[in-house]
Amino acid sequence: MSNAKLAIFLPFVESARVVSMNEKETIVVDTASAGVAAPDALVRYPPGDLAIWIFILAELLVFGVFFSSYAFNRMNHVELFNQYQATLDRDAALINTLALLTSSYFVIRGVVAAREGNNRLCAHWIWGAVAMGGVFLVVKSAEYSHHIGAGISLSTNEFYMFYLSLTFFHFMHVILGMVILAAVAVKAGQGGYSREDHVGVETGASYWHMVDLVWLILFPLVYVMR
Amino acid sequence: MSQAFTKAMARNIFYGGSVFFLLLLAALTFDTHMAWPERDNHAAITESVSQGKALWEENNCIGCHSLLGEGAYYAPELGNAFKRLGGKDGIKGFIMSRPKDGIPGRRSMPQFNFSPEELDALADFLEYVSGINTSNWPPNIQG
Amino acid sequence: MQYQSQSVAKPYFIAAIGLFVGQILFGLIMGLQYVIGDFMFPEIPFNVARMVHTNLLIVWLLFGFMGATYYLVPEEAERELFSPLLAHLMFWIFLIAGALTVLGYLLVPYATLAELTHNELLPTMGREFLEQPTITKLGIVVVALAFLFNIGMTILKGRKTAISLVLLIGLLGLAVFFLFAFYNPDNLAKDKYYWWFVVHLWVEGVWELILGSILAFVLIKTTGVDREVIEKWLYVIIAMALITGLVGTGHHFYWIGTPEYWQWWGSIFSALEPIPFFMMTVFAFNMVNRRRRNHPNKAAVLWAMGTAVMAFLGAGVWGFMHTLAPVNYYTHGTQITAAHGHMAFYGAYVMIVLTMISYAMPMLRGREAAPSVRSQVLEMWSFWLMTVSMVFITLFLTGAGILQVYLQRFSDNPLPFMVAQDKVELFYWMREVAGVVFLIGLIVYIASFFVGSRDPEPVAGAVEPAAAA
Repeated sequence: MSNAKLAIFLPFVESARVVSMNEKETIVVDTASAGVAAPDALVRYPPGDLAIWIFILAELLVFGVFFSSYAFNRMNHVELFNQYQATLDRDAALINTLALLTSSYFVIRGVVAAREGNNRLCAHWIWGAVAMGGVFLVVKSAEYSHHIGAGISLSTNEFYMFYLSLTFFHFMHVILGMVILAAVAVKAGQGGYSREDHVGVETGASYWHMVDLVWLILFPLVYVMR
Repeated sequence: MSQAFTKAMARNIFYGGSVFFLLLLAALTFDTHMAWPERDNHAAITESVSQGKALWEENNCIGCHSLLGEGAYYAPELGNAFKRLGGKDGIKGFIMSRPKDGIPGRRSMPQFNFSPEELDALADFLEYVSGINTSNWPPNIQG
Repeated sequence: MQYQSQSVAKPYFIAAIGLFVGQILFGLIMGLQYVIGDFMFPEIPFNVARMVHTNLLIVWLLFGFMGATYYLVPEEAERELFSPLLAHLMFWIFLIAGALTVLGYLLVPYATLAELTHNELLPTMGREFLEQPTITKLGIVVVALAFLFNIGMTILKGRKTAISLVLLIGLLGLAVFFLFAFYNPDNLAKDKYYWWFVVHLWVEGVWELILGSILAFVLIKTTGVDREVIEKWLYVIIAMALITGLVGTGHHFYWIGTPEYWQWWGSIFSALEPIPFFMMTVFAFNMVNRRRRNHPNKAAVLWAMGTAVMAFLGAGVWGFMHTLAPVNYYTHGTQITAAHGHMAFYGAYVMIVLTMISYAMPMLRGREAAPSVRSQVLEMWSFWLMTVSMVFITLFLTGAGILQVYLQRFSDNPLPFMVAQDKVELFYWMREVAGVVFLIGLIVYIASFFVGSRDPEPVAGAVEPAAAA
């Protein structure tokens, strides 16, 4: 495959030189020797391992189906949904939104630090993001324990079924995201990343941003929109 | 640095994804346990019903019939037999009346030579099953 | 054959094929009983023929999986099997226990078998596919543990590859989930819920790991494509299998007394279950397209590609057709279910075992790599006969099912079950004819092991230039 064709596939890869291409799965792009400054954010697109993007798309697909199901169901039970939506704690949800947005900001700072080759700073920012994720989990758990205390479960009614399913599915993804970020932070703490090689940080960051994005859709859809 | 989809990444996604969904299945199973008492008609499980289930299994009724849609598709669904055959008497009468050598040319049910107590237990079992909340399945009385 | 102990696979494969023949004979008996209702009644009532048919299927597939494992693990681990003696011993124990069980089904009434085997001590009999007496089930656990021990020790002390590890995880899962067969509560809702922890988590769960790893092994051997590529794809495929299949179990929890949210969870996740099978098809065809050699065993490559396609059609497509709750409400427990079940089992599991036998048997019989041209031609004929006839079996049962669903479930004046069955009789006759063709295919398959067995090996194909960068 010529460099020209490759350029179409990787529009942001400037002057990339294809080192080797085996089995079409692995496109090894040697940007360093092409004389392009590696820390340039536009050089790698999309950021992080390609595999994670396939799974991010798959995740968004599943969440998308869930959201559509919610919307479809709400259409048929508007009164019920409005009535029980009012029982949700919007303040808690707001705190959670702020927590996730802050954590995403921390993650971005962590990625910047990694691009500059500063492992320690990267680790600090990523741990900060994990902590904000922890805030989310605590607040959400408090909400859940309130519901459980009131005897609410997946079988209470359609609204609660969707609300609990959607938020719990997301909750588990927050946990998974925190595990991934923690793994990144630990490796950074051990000096495992460099200016040239910090794909893991980008990968973890991309996944976390997806988790945040899903919440940014979930929050208005389930808590706010009437 | 390579922007590569490595085997290690795929392996991690396999392990992570499997554990994630195993946990989710466990959580949903736990909730299902909590929800059962309202749906599973367990209050109707008497000694006789229990014996009836044992007879159902020891005679492999599921080998021809379906129960709540599961089993074999050679003979009718029996989850709603209590309603369709007109109660316990209808069920007992049907089982008792099966000819030993079958009906010529037709799909045939064996004659099990059950005692009156066993027939009663089977009928109790099927009555209990008909009371399980199956979300309005089957669509009609024919099963 | 690189390692002497790989030869223990041979008796397993022979037993597998022998039991396969038994399975099909009883399948034909059942097919005839569908239309001539009192055929062989009361000596072999339908339910007895059915339990023989289904139990033989499961047991021969297990023999096939074990044979495949005994063949590929020494080669992957680069060392001899830990204990060939144990493998031989377990072979005979499993075979004899299985034979006795089937004889038990046939020779005495089932209730008598339950009494003779003291089912009342720990009642596990009388559920679909789990008709075995409790002592047989315990025997299966013992055989499985010995098998896992043998394989585990071999892998532990040898080279660990993704293929052997994935296979081992699949087999471990198979053993663990089988334990749910011992849980049989009085509460029917619970009984049915956990029954699926054996059945679904087997065939739509850990068995897919077994399928994937065997397929990957055969593809590496026959195409020469880089192991890294194939093993990476294997991980992606099985990741999708469990990610969709675990919560996908919920598509069995619509109408059996479980809460109604399963209709949502089960529909969404099970709708995605075709994805790994689709990926397997792309995977198989891709690897063969970019092969670096023309392996002389063309039959094995045909089986490998056929497995991926038929698994996708039978498990993926036919499964999808009746997996969504609103559809399933009408099709649950009908001939639609039977149609899907036949093509799925054949496409995924029958075919992967036949693929492995096709690949390995020549070496087990002393050849270098492949059977003679005459043998292969016959074998490929058997592939087409069995596969095409299975497609027709499935199509006819689908036809019967659609008509049954309409007449018995959907119409304004629903017909009683037996009346509806009469009305779809033609489909059953056609299915039986297709079944006979399947048997012919199986006979041709067996013949392929004898015809041309003394002919020379085919010349290996010229090595193709590596795919251009």
